[in-house]
This record gives sequence, C-alpha cells and structure tokens, in this order.
Amino acid sequence: MASTSRLDALPRVTCPNHPDAILVEDYRAGDMICPECGLVVGTDENDLVPAFSFITAGDRVIDVGSEWRTFSNDKATKDPSRVGDSQNPLLSDGDLSTMIGKGTGAASFDEFGNSKYQNRRTMSSSDRAMMNAFKEITTMADRINLPRNIVDRTNNLFKQVYEQKSLKGRANDAIASACLYIACRQEGVPRTFKEICAVSRISKKEIGRCFKLILKALETSVDLITTGDFMSRFCSNLCLPKQVQMAATHIARKAVELDLVPGRSPISVAAAAIYMASQASAEKRTQKEIGDIAGVADVTIRQSYRLIYPRAPDLFPTDFKFDTPVDKLPQL
Amino acid sequence: MEGEETYLDLFLARCAAQDDLALPRSPLLSPIVPYDVYIPNSSNPETTFNSQLEEVTEISGNFSSVDLSFLPDELTQENKDQTVIRSKHETEENCKTESWQSRLPLPSQQDVDLVLNSSGGSSSHSHLHPGDANSAQRSPEKPHSLPLASITPMTPVTPVSECSGIVPQLQNIVSTVNLACKLDLKKIALHAKNAEYNPKRFAAVIMRIREPRTTALIFSSGKMVCTGAKSEEQSRLAARKYARVVQKLGFPARFLDFKIQNMVGSCDVRFPIRLEGLVLTHQQFSSYEPELFPGLIYRMVKPRIVLLIFVSGKVVLTGAKERSEIYEAFENIYPILKGFKKT
Repeated sequence: MASTSRLDALPRVTCPNHPDAILVEDYRAGDMICPECGLVVGTDENDLVPAFSFITAGDRVIDVGSEWRTFSNDKATKDPSRVGDSQNPLLSDGDLSTMIGKGTGAASFDEFGNSKYQNRRTMSSSDRAMMNAFKEITTMADRINLPRNIVDRTNNLFKQVYEQKSLKGRANDAIASACLYIACRQEGVPRTFKEICAVSRISKKEIGRCFKLILKALETSVDLITTGDFMSRFCSNLCLPKQVQMAATHIARKAVELDLVPGRSPISVAAAAIYMASQASAEKRTQKEIGDIAGVADVTIRQSYRLIYPRAPDLFPTDFKFDTPVDKLPQL
Repeated sequence: MEGEETYLDLFLARCAAQDDLALPRSPLLSPIVPYDVYIPNSSNPETTFNSQLEEVTEISGNFSSVDLSFLPDELTQENKDQTVIRSKHETEENCKTESWQSRLPLPSQQDVDLVLNSSGGSSSHSHLHPGDANSAQRSPEKPHSLPLASITPMTPVTPVSECSGIVPQLQNIVSTVNLACKLDLKKIALHAKNAEYNPKRFAAVIMRIREPRTTALIFSSGKMVCTGAKSEEQSRLAARKYARVVQKLGFPARFLDFKIQNMVGSCDVRFPIRLEGLVLTHQQFSSYEPELFPGLIYRMVKPRIVLLIFVSGKVVLTGAKERSEIYEAFENIYPILKGFKKT
C-alpha cells in the first residue's frame, strides 16, 4: 500500500511518537500511517486512532495519480476515467485549467457539421513550449531506451534552465538535447555526444555549446568521462561475450594508467581496446564495425591502437584466454 | 623584434620616470611590503645589504636619475631563447637575494616586472629596472649610494620555485581602426593588389600585405579590422599601410581610434600536464571535454584571459587587450600547472 506517486514532497504531518518516521500513504483509505506504531496521522491530533480500527479519523489525502480503472481489459474502447491524466505538478505549474473534450453524440455538433466548443482551449499557454520540450525529451529518450529516472532528471534540468531564461534565445530542442546529455552524465551512464546527435535533429556543435552554457547557467559540473562508462554498451551492441568486454575494460584502464594514450578521447581509447580484445578472442570485429558503433572513425581507432599495441602483453588481464596469441595480433 | 624593443623601452622609460618621482622613500608605494622588512632610511642599508649579499663588489655612485642607455638591445626573437635561459639564472639569483626581503606570494604587478625583467635580459642592468613596487625598497638605498653595482638587482619577490622564466610569445594581434570615410568596395577590389571581394559571401574587402604579414577586412563604412600581426607596433604599422593603400585609391582616409582588440600568445611549459587533475581542483574555471576539444579551457578571472592548456604542456593565451595581461596570466597559471605535472 505504499505510495507510488511521483516525487512526493514530505508531508508536514509526522507521527507524534516517531517524528523521524516517514509516513506511509494508504491508497485504499487515503490515510497517512506511521510505519513504526501504526498510528493514522491526521492534521487534527485529537483524532489519532490506530490503523486497525475500521473508523479512521485522519485526514484523507487526495490521490493525484490517474484513476484506477484505466487498466481494465473487459471494456474495449470506452475508458471511464473521470479524473483525466495524472497530474504533473512539479514540472508544469498547475494543471488546473478547464478543458472541454471532443463531443460524442449529435448534440455536440452545430448546423454545419462543425463541433460546438471547438478546439479545447489551450491550457497553460505559458508552459506550452515546456510541455512541447518534455514531449520531445520523452521521444528522444525512447529512441535509445533510456529509463524513466533519466527522463525525469532531464525534465527537471530543462525546467530549471527554462525558468532561468538565460538561454532563452537557443532552440528548445538544442537545450533539451543538452539536458538529456547532462542527465545521462549525472546518472553515471554517460552517452556520447554522437549518440545524442543520433536521436536529435540538432548538430553536435550546437549541443556542445548548449551543454557548456547550461553548466554555467545552473552552476553545476559533471564528472569526467572514463573509458569504462561505455564498455558495456559498445560490447553489447557488438554482441561480444562478457570475457571480451572485461578484457577490453581492463586494457583501456591499463592504457590510461600507463599514460600510453595522452590526449586521446576516452571513446577512441575504448574503441581501440575493444578492437584489441576482440582480435585476441574468437569473436573478432573489424575496425569499421567498432567505429560504427562507437561513433569514431576507423583511422582514429587505428591511431589509438598503434599507441597501445607495443604494450599489448601488459594490458591484457592475466586470466584472459587468448584465441589469437598476443604476438599474432594485427599490426596496423 | 623591433616592436618589442620599442614597447619595452617605452615601458621602462615610463617606470624610470616614476622611479625618479618616487625618490623619497614612501612605503605607500609598495603596500605589499611587510613592515618587518622595511628598511628605514636612517639605518645603514649598505651594511645590511653587504651582510646579506655575497656579491657586493663596489659601491657605485649616486643614482638619482636612471640611465637606460646600457640596457641590452638583445630583444630579438633569435636571442630570445638565450636570454630566457640566461635570465632564468639571473632571476633565480634575483629571487635568492630578494627572498629574504619579502616572502610574498606573487603579486601581479611585480610578476609583470619580473617577467619583463627576465625578458629584458641581463641582471647586471636590471637593478635599474623599474618596478613601481620596488621603488620604495630601492629608494632608501639610492641616496646612500647603492652598494650593489652590476650584479644582483632589486627585483621583486618571487621565490625561486615560482619564477617561471618562460615568456609567452605573441602570435596574433587583432586591431580595428576607423578610416572615417565611406568606401566603394568594388573600386578598391578592382584597383588594389591582393584584394578579394565577394559580396555574396562577405560584405567586406579582404586585403593582404606581405610586410608585416597581415590581413585586413575593409568595410564600406570605413571601418577596418587588421589581423595577423605579431606585435602591437607591427599591427599599427600594418593598419597604417592599409590606410595608405585606401588613401592612394582616392578616398580621404584618416586613421582614427586605432585599438587593439585581441592578443593571442602561446608558450610551452615543457612538461606534460594532468588535465584531469586540473579540472577536478579548478572546476569553476576549467572546462575539459575530450569529446569536444582535446585541450582544457581555463577562464581566468583576473586578468580576464582564456587559456587553452594541452596535455603536451603547450599553453595558448587569448583575450588580452594588453601584453602585460598575457604575461600576468601565464605567471598566474604556471605554479598551478607545475602542481599537475605528470611524473
């Protein structure tokens, strides 16, 4: 019966006996219950009664999720949802405007066949652009299967940037793409700029510019990318087994530690490491294939590979099973 | 290079004049000198100096007026390396003698003086070297006939470990000037040599001259942008040459409001740098995105200069309106970079 509503603000009421306990929302009855002692907590202290009593006196909370019956399978088309879509209070300010839905039945059409009360009045016109951007963010994230937490973070970032108005002149799509990039970084699963470019209509240059501007506007910073952040994704896309992925991670990390590739982008080093690991295993991949997945040119992979090739025996993990021995690795 | 010599000479002359004015000792001129090392006029500065300095040989005459005639003229580019190396030893010497006087962190003005000192060359003449902050220290000695003759100068304060001894070289100067008359770009493009004009692409004539090797954008309003010069004097000279070309074509060109808008310098610290470490500690100033640009972009607040710092140790400084800003910025960043040297 725990609350599942999004990003709940902590209610100000607390259990008098356990002020630190976080109150649990009971959906069925609409109460807040203390998990320690079971007390139903309401605003009026005199009405405190234990939860197992049928008569509860705590304040009812208003459920702002969508109506429960949305998932019923028996009724095919008519969905008797009376409360509309779930509220999104934290992102758009106040969804409390009135909308008139499209009519059914004869009475809703006037003499010419046009519907009376046409076009539901634009709701929250102040945030029309923001809602549009949220839609765009959801679309972009959906293309690369990003989880909901990243999308939420992106929406929050966009809202902050939008309210600040310091980047008002820039295309909203560019800001949305940059926010998506930052959110992925902040969640510890960075996506390369090229990956974000692939799902956005904005150029890498513009996304990069907006990225820097947003960091400055929000006064945040992000962690530096490392080679290991991309290994699992690239290797999975190349259908490489776990052993090869682990070997590639090890190679890349060792190469950076030994400073064999100073000044090279971590993506290029990761791609070269994957190439080396895959060439040493049974699952060989060409430079072109790796370049396609990672978004680096194959000459770039070649350059980084040349730098790590001389120390190849030191870079592999000790328990790696070589299909092609180290000295027979391709030399480019 | 001729331009740098004139600049330095002008600067030195100005500071020498200030020196003359600052003859009576006034600690106010160098507010950063701590009181404990302030040398009162009445005491025996010679003896204190003599006791501290190893190399006092002779007591030279009264230095009421600063004579710049024996400043070395070796400010050419070719001799730069030698002077740099030599001046590095000298500045170390300077620093040793000076470190007892005031153990201060690099004050920016003195940095400028110090750098100019290193670039100026021999320390034997640099005890005349002006430093506004030094004048107070040195002026007490002046009436008492300066004991240090030709060697150890009164250069400011930086301890040995912090003098960089490296001087950034100017690579590009961008300047603007107003010719104060409307121009017919088509006529200029047709009659002038080395001019290109493509109104569909860009609304200005692009003119080039060989000496100094520069490019100018000349607009129909009469304003002109001159780029590519390696020193301030060269930029001014080039702008004048372009103005003369325009004048010869029949326009009543003048030379108003010549202003240097941007100066770019570069140098090499000669050791590899750990950019990841630098971005971690100086987050609010640095931006390092290897996906976007291989160098770290450091936006220094004072002076307002942008530095591009690369793993190899090369540093590019840009955004300066004055040469001193570039030198100051480099002196500020050098100790920081030394802290992130790759071992």
